[in-house]
Amino acid sequence: MHHALWQSVLGEIELSVSHATFTTWFKNTELVDQNESGIVIAVPNIFAKKQFEVKFNDQIKGVLAKNGITPKHITYTITTTGKKTRINRETTISQESQTPESLLPSSNQNVQSTYTQNAPLVGAGGLNPRYTFDNFIVGSSNDLAYTASQAVAANPGVKYNPLYLYGGVGLGKTHLMQAVGNEIVKLQPGTRVVYISSETFVNEFLDYVRFKKKGFSDKYRNIDVLIVDDMQFIAGKEQTQEQFFHTFNFLHQNNKQIIISSDKPPKSIPTLTERLRSRFEMGMTIDVQMPDFETRCAILSAKAALSGVELGQDTVEYLATNIKTNIRELEGALNQLLAYAEMRGIAPDVSTAEGLLGNIRHSRPQHITSKQIIERTAKHFQLKVEEVCSAKRDKHIVVPRQIAMYLLRSELHLSFPKIAGELGRKDHTTAIHSVEKIEKAIKLDFLIREQVASIREKLYA
Amino acid sequence: MEITVTQENFARALTAVGRVASNKTQLPILNNILLRTDGNRLLVAATNLEIATTQYIGAKVVKPGAITIPARLISEFISSLPKEPVELKVKGDNLHINSGKYTSIINGVIADDFPELPTINEKSSIQYSIKTEDFKQAVSQTIITTSSDSTRPVLTGVYWHSQDGQLVLAATDGYRLSERVLVETKSEVSAIIPTQTLQEVLRTIVDGDDEVDVLFDETQVRFRINDAEIISRLIDGNFPDYRQLVPKKSDNIVKIAKSDFMRITKIAGLFARESGGSITLTVSEETKSLSIHSIASQFGENTSEATAEVTGEGQVTLNSRYLTEALGVIDGDEVEFSFSGKLSPCVLKSTDVKTNYYHIIMPLKS
Repeated sequence: MHHALWQSVLGEIELSVSHATFTTWFKNTELVDQNESGIVIAVPNIFAKKQFEVKFNDQIKGVLAKNGITPKHITYTITTTGKKTRINRETTISQESQTPESLLPSSNQNVQSTYTQNAPLVGAGGLNPRYTFDNFIVGSSNDLAYTASQAVAANPGVKYNPLYLYGGVGLGKTHLMQAVGNEIVKLQPGTRVVYISSETFVNEFLDYVRFKKKGFSDKYRNIDVLIVDDMQFIAGKEQTQEQFFHTFNFLHQNNKQIIISSDKPPKSIPTLTERLRSRFEMGMTIDVQMPDFETRCAILSAKAALSGVELGQDTVEYLATNIKTNIRELEGALNQLLAYAEMRGIAPDVSTAEGLLGNIRHSRPQHITSKQIIERTAKHFQLKVEEVCSAKRDKHIVVPRQIAMYLLRSELHLSFPKIAGELGRKDHTTAIHSVEKIEKAIKLDFLIREQVASIREKLYA
Repeated sequence: MEITVTQENFARALTAVGRVASNKTQLPILNNILLRTDGNRLLVAATNLEIATTQYIGAKVVKPGAITIPARLISEFISSLPKEPVELKVKGDNLHINSGKYTSIINGVIADDFPELPTINEKSSIQYSIKTEDFKQAVSQTIITTSSDSTRPVLTGVYWHSQDGQLVLAATDGYRLSERVLVETKSEVSAIIPTQTLQEVLRTIVDGDDEVDVLFDETQVRFRINDAEIISRLIDGNFPDYRQLVPKKSDNIVKIAKSDFMRITKIAGLFARESGGSITLTVSEETKSLSIHSIASQFGENTSEATAEVTGEGQVTLNSRYLTEALGVIDGDEVEFSFSGKLSPCVLKSTDVKTNYYHIIMPLKS
């Protein structure tokens, strides 16, 4: 529950301060305790602590008060992971002793290779322990990706190398990849797992180039599992791609696991060099799709349970019906509902949700018209609207027309005669046939699925 | 704000804190230096949200106040001025600077937007006053073996901890390790101080400073050198239990004049550039010598020898750079170098036990 409350506080503060201020100070803060005597907020470092105490305290008090909470006292503590700096406590450094630094000798005379065989990582780089397989909710839209990820976690470097996951925003790619990393570290402590975003890779590479530093090529070669998020950002950056290509080859040849995520399949990233594309495709390429209704319900119930709240079936269904596109948004809506209900001391039921969700839905252009759908579809296939609506039967026009009909049905729930009418047809059976055909094709044909998803995304963007 | 300061003091303070002002963060104000009156002194400060450094300089305060000013411009401008009093006046968001015939107006940002500087509670923290000389030596001796690999944050700093009533500094990058016993302590400490912070402290120390005050609390450390203060975060995590890596005894023990050892290492290193610094040390009890051999396949090879007091016969291959760096920070005229076979860690230290320092280097496999 703390989490939900704090999120709504942050939401309000984000509106009143500059973006830079918000990301610098408020990111990575958390409400850790709330009781009679006050509220405890965890902040990442000493600088943030001081800043909160002196500069933001009044503002936070104000926002909390608006939410109906007036703590006597707000304390700020510094978050630390695991054991930390101590002063004045009993001796014995390591109750949970870590793998000691193995000052390992290298395999040959050459210093470069010294770096390839060395000490295990104490902590896995960049992984967030909160993402695990246990709290990943599986449905038909993502079970292939889930199964493959589990197989990879069980036998890193053996099966499906590289594992390439792609799909739209907020569908759980990062969660899955992090879960693989965490699982590997759990099963085989001492494995060196590094999680980075491709943007980090690019920036680090630029740094090395700019400051003429050496050893970049070694940095990512001395690890066992490399996880790269949002690969699409590397597109168009020739030098970086080449560097990544060498790193990739080196790791792959040494049977090190590589996991990549992106918003598109390799062949749809236009400026990706041919040799990287073919390499990305040589392992396993899986798309993570939009969750279906049942999965959305499961996610909502699970998340609510995590916050210690049991939601009624009708509330869950209401939320799942109204938010379709993205899990992150789904969680946002749930958090908002829970926080709102807690603050007002009412039950998070359908009527509360309806009142709230009104806000969420108005926050983006929700009203799609049939005209927009046809225009979007035509644009996607680089056709004219007139062509789509015409009677032409060329194949490159027929499929887009059918997709448009399918979307009219699935997004606007138009009747078949209405759909036929929108596209200049008299006979509604054409519409029935088209919708059925695309429904089937989506299950079978990867290309159609891609196209439909892409148009839908643009519609709601 | 309306004050007068001397050019020398102001320039020195600006240069010292200016290094910390950074343009790498999202917060543009961190590019700026904070100027604020504090009684009859001027506080000059900068932070990058990992370190905050502060310098106090004497000032004639006419009207108290504060402002922040882009770091680079003001330090370069003030450094270029002749040694004369400098008048500073804040008007709105601008700082008017007058010194003799030189006047400038620099656009600033109001001081309210500058992050609050962290403070440390002196009562609840642990304090050490360390002689500057000792401090400088101990930090230089350990800082060279810290790692720059950000995937293992605990190794990117120097581990300050109490052990058997002593304050001990240790650092390792996985290939070498160094430990220095600094002062006696009655309190318990265990903290990892970032390398960058220590480098900054070393740079801040100027000749004539007697003592460095070090103050720890659970999440931060403060160094105070006369009128300068550096506050830094500590690195979160557990330092590896390094003591078990230190060999209890060695088969081969060599005692050699440090200057001889440095010379032959340096010479051998010239021929080891191609092989990544790989040099092979051979010791012989019979000939009472330590010889170093290195090969550069394209250019030639080298063998250099020096007289030494030797126990046992043996050979080991090391990185010449590591050896040179270690010899560079060891105190005293004679060093003891011990090793066992080609794979175990080599230990280097002064034969004078009062130096309180040892250095470990892992061999290269040959």
